[in-house]
Parts: sequence; structure tokens; C-alpha cells
Amino acid sequence: MNSSANISSTSASVQSATTALVLKLSKVTKTYHTAGHSLTVLNDVSFEVGAGQTCAIVGPSGSGKTTLLGLSVGLDDPDTGAVHLAGQELGEMNEDQRAALRRDEVGFVFQNFQLMPTLTALENVMIPLELRGDRSGAKAAAELLGKVGLGDRTRHYPSQLSGGEQQRVALARAFIHEPAILFADEPTGNLDRETSEPIVEMLFDLNKHHGTALVLVTHDDELASRAQRTIRMRAGRVVEEIVNA
Amino acid sequence: MLERMNWIAQLTNSWVWVMAWRDSRRERGRLALFAVSMVIGISAMTAIHTLKEDAEAAIANQEKALLGSDLQISSRQPFEVDSVQQIAVVADAIASETGLASMLQFPRTGDARLVQVRAFEGRFPFYGAVETDPANRWQAITQEGAMGVLVEQALLDQFGAEIGETVRLGELEVEVIGIIRKPLPRSGRFSGFAPEVYVPMEALRSSGLLGATVLATHHLHILGDGEAVKAFLDSQFADESWRTETPESRRETLGDAVENFRQFLSLLAMSALVLGAIGVASAIHAHLKRRVQSVAILRCLGASGNLASAIYLVQSAVLGLVAAFAGTVVGVGLRQVVLWQLRTRTDWEIGAGIPWDVVLQASLAGLGVCVAFALLPLLRVRKILPITALRQSTQAEVKSTGRLATFGVLLILTASVFGLAWFNTSDALRALIMTGGLIVVFAFLWAVSRLLVWATRHFTSASWPYPLRQGLSNLHRPNNQTLLFLLSIGLGTFLLLTILFGRNLIVERTSTANTEDGPSIYLVDVQAGQVDGVVDLLEELDLPTLESASMITMRLESVKGRSTTELMEEGAVPRWVLQREFRSTYRETLNATEKIVSGNWPPVWSGGSGPVPVSLEADLAADLSVSIGDAFSMNVQGRVIECVVGSIREIDWSRFNLNFFMLFPNGVLEGAPGFHVVTSRLDEGDSSGALQSRIAEVFPGISVIDLALLLETVRTIIGRILMVVGVLSGFSLAAGLLVLIGTLWNGRDARQQEAGLLRVLGASRAQIQSILTVEYAALGILAGLAGALPAIAANLAMAVFIFKASPWPSLPLVGAAIVLCAVASILAGLAIGQGASNAPADAIRSS
Repeated sequence: MNSSANISSTSASVQSATTALVLKLSKVTKTYHTAGHSLTVLNDVSFEVGAGQTCAIVGPSGSGKTTLLGLSVGLDDPDTGAVHLAGQELGEMNEDQRAALRRDEVGFVFQNFQLMPTLTALENVMIPLELRGDRSGAKAAAELLGKVGLGDRTRHYPSQLSGGEQQRVALARAFIHEPAILFADEPTGNLDRETSEPIVEMLFDLNKHHGTALVLVTHDDELASRAQRTIRMRAGRVVEEIVNA
Repeated sequence: MLERMNWIAQLTNSWVWVMAWRDSRRERGRLALFAVSMVIGISAMTAIHTLKEDAEAAIANQEKALLGSDLQISSRQPFEVDSVQQIAVVADAIASETGLASMLQFPRTGDARLVQVRAFEGRFPFYGAVETDPANRWQAITQEGAMGVLVEQALLDQFGAEIGETVRLGELEVEVIGIIRKPLPRSGRFSGFAPEVYVPMEALRSSGLLGATVLATHHLHILGDGEAVKAFLDSQFADESWRTETPESRRETLGDAVENFRQFLSLLAMSALVLGAIGVASAIHAHLKRRVQSVAILRCLGASGNLASAIYLVQSAVLGLVAAFAGTVVGVGLRQVVLWQLRTRTDWEIGAGIPWDVVLQASLAGLGVCVAFALLPLLRVRKILPITALRQSTQAEVKSTGRLATFGVLLILTASVFGLAWFNTSDALRALIMTGGLIVVFAFLWAVSRLLVWATRHFTSASWPYPLRQGLSNLHRPNNQTLLFLLSIGLGTFLLLTILFGRNLIVERTSTANTEDGPSIYLVDVQAGQVDGVVDLLEELDLPTLESASMITMRLESVKGRSTTELMEEGAVPRWVLQREFRSTYRETLNATEKIVSGNWPPVWSGGSGPVPVSLEADLAADLSVSIGDAFSMNVQGRVIECVVGSIREIDWSRFNLNFFMLFPNGVLEGAPGFHVVTSRLDEGDSSGALQSRIAEVFPGISVIDLALLLETVRTIIGRILMVVGVLSGFSLAAGLLVLIGTLWNGRDARQQEAGLLRVLGASRAQIQSILTVEYAALGILAGLAGALPAIAANLAMAVFIFKASPWPSLPLVGAAIVLCAVASILAGLAIGQGASNAPADAIRSS
């Protein structure tokens, strides 16, 4: 069962004083300017995620979820406000420094899997380690693939795997370097219910096992309810924050 | 931190190389196709450069055949034995020659004839060959000590003599042992004006003709480094009044053909590689377009822009290396095939071993330019936003590229094009002009593409039929190919047309220089009263009278108030000019091979006792350091004539018309003693024997100089130059067209996907083909036009500044280029549409 509260009170209640913050957005606004038009996609958005916590962001299409995700990991810059990721203010970092921060502290799971089509499953999983200069990640990657049930598919290319298998590879890739926070953008959006179920289980298991904070962007209320908190967005604003049981 | 360093520094990161390899796995087929552009460009560059080297060496050897040696040293005094020994130390080989005019008597009939006797000692010529009938008689008299004389067929015909007949030369009676079929180069331009006979040096010594009173000319023919020997002579024999001549100084016989040929080959080699580079840029662009998502994913996972760029830089460089190797192999193979064809179809000894240094230089230059041209599309990789991975759009989100980085890459490109042009032309100024020209064309094409985008955005009407609207809208919508297409196809059209224009100019200019209507026969020693008779005799033999001119011999007396003796002591004027006997003429009109470049030339002089305005040949005026209005005096057989430089003429010596260093107006030299020269022309292959016999019968004192053999040598060289120009132009055109077809094909992904989508939505095959036809026709016609306009300007510049020919280009050629561009473009569009229409799902998926 879920319980709701207003934004200010839940922030205070969920965020215990002893939990370190992994993500903090403060009064973030983002407006896109096109020929003669301005469109405010995010308007004065603030929220926080502590270490090991899980948080779901829900809302209809065009409500600003993906933009919020992009801003949270420094893929884009807010017009106003500030974003702190793993204790660092993204606005003060250049492109390469943000990339290095993502490499060290962030994991990603995409709706459309986004595996490198020219790399095998094993090589895809190894990328985050290799980007850090760790060339001995093959064993760990193979083990992780084994954990997600793909121990016998390590040498297969993405095009040789089903959608569910590809997303499991993506999960292994997201956790291989034990990031501080994992962002999952509609992780089951391209999968049917039957295939989704084990993916979701793995996502939360790995989160629990590795102590990684999890930010889920989803349309699926049922999936969102498995997170400790749900932030509901509409027209670029956070309209509701729910603490799940 | 590696990430803080620039992307070039990332190349030291081994993971970059591993990723470049992994990333290429599923794309190797496509990458191989992309590499074809580079292979074609580099193979064309290698083949053209090596063939250029081969052709230049072969032509230079043939030029040397115009002199027979690397250096000819001439003197009026015999060379001291000691001097010859000193020169021999710096030369590879030396042959000596002595020439003089003497009577050759035929004791059997009692006839006699003034001939130019040339006596030789040592192996000569070093370049070219003397052919005799019977064979090898030349070797017999020069190297085997045979005592005998070789004569021209016409001389025997004139006196009804035959091989084996005894002739008398001074005190020596000697047998005619052969006929000269292919003579030596003359030791001076038409020196002697008499038939030549060749004898061994020993025969001349025995003849007693080498007395002190006889005016003989002595030559040393040198094999070796002509320039080094000349420098040695300048340092060791500065006081000697020797004259030197090199093959280059004989090049005037060929006109500008060789220089034009070199310039054209440089243009070809450069164009071939720039065409290849265009192919490279478009191929890398197409490749990277397909890798956008991979780059975005890597960026999301924490790879810096520099790291991602380095991966694709490595791919491009390795692709370039492989292409350079393959291009070199193909280029060398093509060279061998072309050389084999040239050797088989002609008896031309062209090309020896493979010039590996040239091959290596061409390959490295090709590789460098290919990698440099890949940098422009690679700039984009650094700026692909990682958020592209989050969005579902097929369009990459790209941050605008930093001006500094773009400027830097453009600077590298400009520098590489300049370096390439310099490598090709060895002339910094010319390289600068070529590079500047390419930049102007590039800017022009960019402006045209912007104009097209603007025009289609603003002037497309909603009332137009859908395929027309959609086709034209494709020119300005996101994912449009307008800029890329205009730049690549426009620049390609410009280069190909420039090659064709250049080829036409060189053919036109060289054919004009090698005109068939020039003289091939000189009739000399014609007395004033014999001119009409000679003209009648020529008419009787169906031969034309081309020119007739008086020749009066004279020497320089003073220049600007200083005597020749003073000038000789000062050393400011070449000795040969001060000592030579000028043969000058007077006439009212100029001929077609000379033109006044400064001053005025009065056809008739009526100035009484004032100085006579004389027209000087430009090089002579430069040697004398005189300009219009400067005074000089000429000694005409004892009588001094005061003159002034009235005008300066440029003469095209490649035509064998009657031309003179000094030209007097009518009204001055009419009373001076001299003789006339009449020129005529025999058809190619006709013998001058009949003419020689008739002249000997009617005018025994007149000599017939047959230029047929010299003309044949010149024609052979020019013919071979044109052949090489033809082969290499054709090769460059074929290579360029292949690259441009590849460029069209590389751009197919976006359109194939759109066409597939339209097909899925229910568009008919005809609708899709109409849309693509409109888009590709507009692009093709405009690219053709935009490429043709600067090509016409380039033709104008080449015609005016280099070839001095008509600036009007061939309009049918321009029209054909534009039509070809449009047709090729439409066909490519239709082929893309056809594939998408047949298998729309595949089209969407493959993109």
C-alpha cells in the first residue's frame, strides 16, 4: 500500500539526516527556444535521492521526465537552479569532467537497451570498467552475465539476443562498476509483461545487493510502486511525491 | 587525466585502439566500400606521379637527343689536350667534334659541292642514335677506326653518285661508305647551311683542311652532370671564350610543350587526390552518421568527447593506411600496365624500375590528405550530445562545433592542400594560387548551397503537387544533403571540368606549336636574281613557296657607346653575342611566329642619316641589357650602321619559320651584299631527293637543307606528350567519376529510410520516384552549374596566364558536364528509391 504526503513534508521524512545525498536538484528550470517559440519543459523542480534509496519518476509523455533525467546526469544544462551528483555541482564542471563523473558514479539502463551493436554481450558489459582504465574486467563481467542468466551468451552480439536478454546485458553493464546511482529510463518499456518481470526483479535485487541508489523513469505505476518514493510530474512540474510502503 | 588532454593525445590509450577495432566489426563491409574512395584517390595519385616521373625522364632523354649529350662546349680554337684531360675528370665521358665548311669533290664526274664536314672522335651521341645504310657504319668511323665518309642521300642523288664511290676532301681521297638515314643533332641552329658529311677525326687531320686559316668550330660533347661541369668550367676556364649549350637550351625547339605538359600533370595529380579526399570526407561522414548512437552511448557511460573522437580517428587513420597500401599497389600496377601499353604501341623506351621514392612520397601525401579530410566530419563526433541516447530520435543532437576547433581543422586542411600543391608543382607561388583557388571554389559552393536552402524554404508553394513540394522541401529540411552534395559533387565537377579544359588547352596549344603548315625545306645561298627562278622551280614540282628573305651577315660594333672589346673585358654581355656573326634581314611585315612586345617598328625607314630603328629578339635584348631607344651599331661587312632599339619581339622558335635576332626595316640594307633564303614544305614522308636533283641541275650554287628528320624528332616528342596527357586525363576522369558515384551512394541511408517509411504509409512507387527525382535533379543540376562556373573561370585563368590560348571553353563540354551531373544524380536517387520500394521494411531497418 502507498501513502501520500505533500512535497515538503515527505522530503523531510524520507531523507534521514544520516543518509548521504547522491542526487540533489534545486529549483531546476529548463526552457527550449525554437524559432519564435519558448517551451518550458521543467519548471522549478527540486528533489533529492540518498545513497541506496530508490525513487520513481512518473508522468505522462511530455511532462519532462527524460529532460529531468538528462539534467540529473549532466547530459544537459539547466537554465536556472543547480544539480549535485555524487556530491559534485554539475554546473561547475566541464563536459569531460561530467563524463568522468558518470563513468565513476553512474549506471544507465535505457528503454531501447542501447547496447553497442558491434560489441559482444561480454564486451558491452566491460565498457564501464574499460573506460576507467580497468582492463581486467572480463571475469567480473562474465560472472555478472551469469547472475542475469546469460552465462552462455557472453559472445553473442546484441542482434543475436532477444529484447529481454539485451536488457539483462544492459543491467549487467549498469552494475559492473558498482555505481553510486543508477538511472533506468523506462527499463521495461520495450518488453512484454512476462519478460519484464525478471528484469524488474534483477534491477531491485542488484540495487539491494550493491547498495546503489536507483532512479526509475517510468509510465508504469505498478513498477513505480516498488520504489521507496514516487515523484509525479505534469507539464514540467513536480505535482506530487509519494512515499511507498 | 587522459580526458583532459586533447583527442590526438588519446591515441596513446590502448583501449581506444581496441574499441576502434571492436566498433568496426559489423561495419567492415561498408568500411571497405568507403575505403574504395581512398584507394581510387591514392592509386590515381601514385600512378600519375610515377608516370609523370617516367614521362618527364623519357621526354628529358628525348630532349637530350636534340643535343646528343648533357653539355656541349664549343670553341673557335682547338681545345688544349690538358684542358680536355681536366674536364674529363668531372665528366663521365667525352667525345670531340670538329666542324668546318669545305668543298667535297666527286673525281669521277668532276663535280664539287660545298658541304659542312663534321669529324668525330669517341662514342657519340650519348642520347639518341645515328642510323646509316648499311647499318653500323657510324660506329665503324667513330669507334672502329674505319676510314670513310657518310653522306646524305640527297647529296648522292644530286651528283648521281653511289655508295663505294671515292670522293675528295682536301688532300684526302676517301670512300663513301654509307648514307645517313637518321642524322646527329646539328651543333648549332642550322649551322653551316650546307649538306653535312661525317668523317672520322683522323680523316679530317689527313685532309690537311685544319690549317690555321680555316675557320673551324670545335666541340666537346659531355656525358655527365651538365650543371656540375658548367660550374667547373666557370671556375677553371673563366678566361676561355667557350660557349656551352645544354639540352634545356635546345628545348626552344619544342616550344612550351614540355613545360605545359609538366604543369598539366601537376594539376592532374593534385585533382586526383583532392577528388579522392572528397570521397574520403563523404565516406567518413556517412560512416559516422551511422555511429551516432554508439558515440552517444559511450558518452552516457562516461567516455569524453575526445575519447570517442579518438576511436573514430583511429578507424579513419587505419582505414587510410589500408587504403594507402592498397592504393599504392593498384597505382603501381596501373603504372606498369600503362607503361606496357605505351611501350607496346610505340617504340618509346619509357619507364625503367619502379621509382619507390616517388611511390612512397605519393602514398604518404595521399594518406596525409585523406586523414586531414577525415578530420572535418570527426569534429562532429566530439559534439554529439550524450542525450541522443535517451531520445528516440534518429537525428543526432549535436552541439555547435567550437569555432576554434573548426578553424583549426580548416587550417590543417588548407595546409595539407597547400603542401600537396607544393609537392606537385615545386613552386610555392603556384601552390598558393591553386590552394587559394580551391578555397574560393569551396566558399562559392557553400554560398550556393545556403542560397538553395533559403530559396526552397521560402519559395515552395503549398499549391504545388505533393512530390514536387516534398522533393524540394527535402533540400532544406533536417537531414538534408544540400551542403554535402553541393560541396562534394560541385567540387568534383569543378575538378573534372578543369582537367578536361586543361587537356584541351594543352592539346590546342601544342598542336598549334607543332603545326603542319610550317616549313620543312630551306633553300639557302639563293642570289637576288635567282629568287624568281627558284619560286618557279618549286611551283613546277608542286611545292609551295612559304617565305623568302634576304640574309645579310653583320657583327656587333658597339652597344650604348661601348665597343665590343670594352664590353668583352667587362664581361657583362655573353661573349657569344659579341663575337657572333648575325644573319639579319629586312622586310615590311612580321610573320605569324613573331610579335612586337614593346616599341614600334616602322616597316620602311626613311630617316636619312639618323640611327636606324631595329627590332631585336627579346632574349638578345636581355643579353645586351638594352631597351627601347638604346643605341648600338652594327658592322655590315666593313660599313658601320648606327642603330637604335626601335622595338623588341618575342619569337616562337618552335616553328621553323624564317626568324632573325635582328630585323631591319626596308630602305636600309637593300644594297648590302648577302643572299636569300627561300622556304618550302614537303609532305610528311616525301623525300627531298627530286628537289635536290632539280636544284643542283638548275642552280648549282644553292643548298637544300632538309629539316624533315629534325621535325620528325620534334613531332615524335610532342606526339608522345599528347599520348601521355590523353592516358592520364582519361585515368583521372575515370577515377574522379568513380569517387563521385561513391559519394552519391554514401548519402543513401537517410533517403532510403524516408522512402521506406513513405512506402509503408502507402506511397506508390511512382510517387517515391518523383520525390527523389525532383530532389536529386535539383541537386545534380545545381551542383553541375555551381561546379562549372568556377571551372570556366579556371579555364580563363589557365588560358590567359599559362597557355596563352583562347579563353573560351568548350560550351558543349560544359553542357555535357551539367547534364551528366543531373543524370547521374537522378539515377542514384532512383536506385535508392527502387531499393526502398521493393523492400520498405529492410530500408527502415538497415538505416
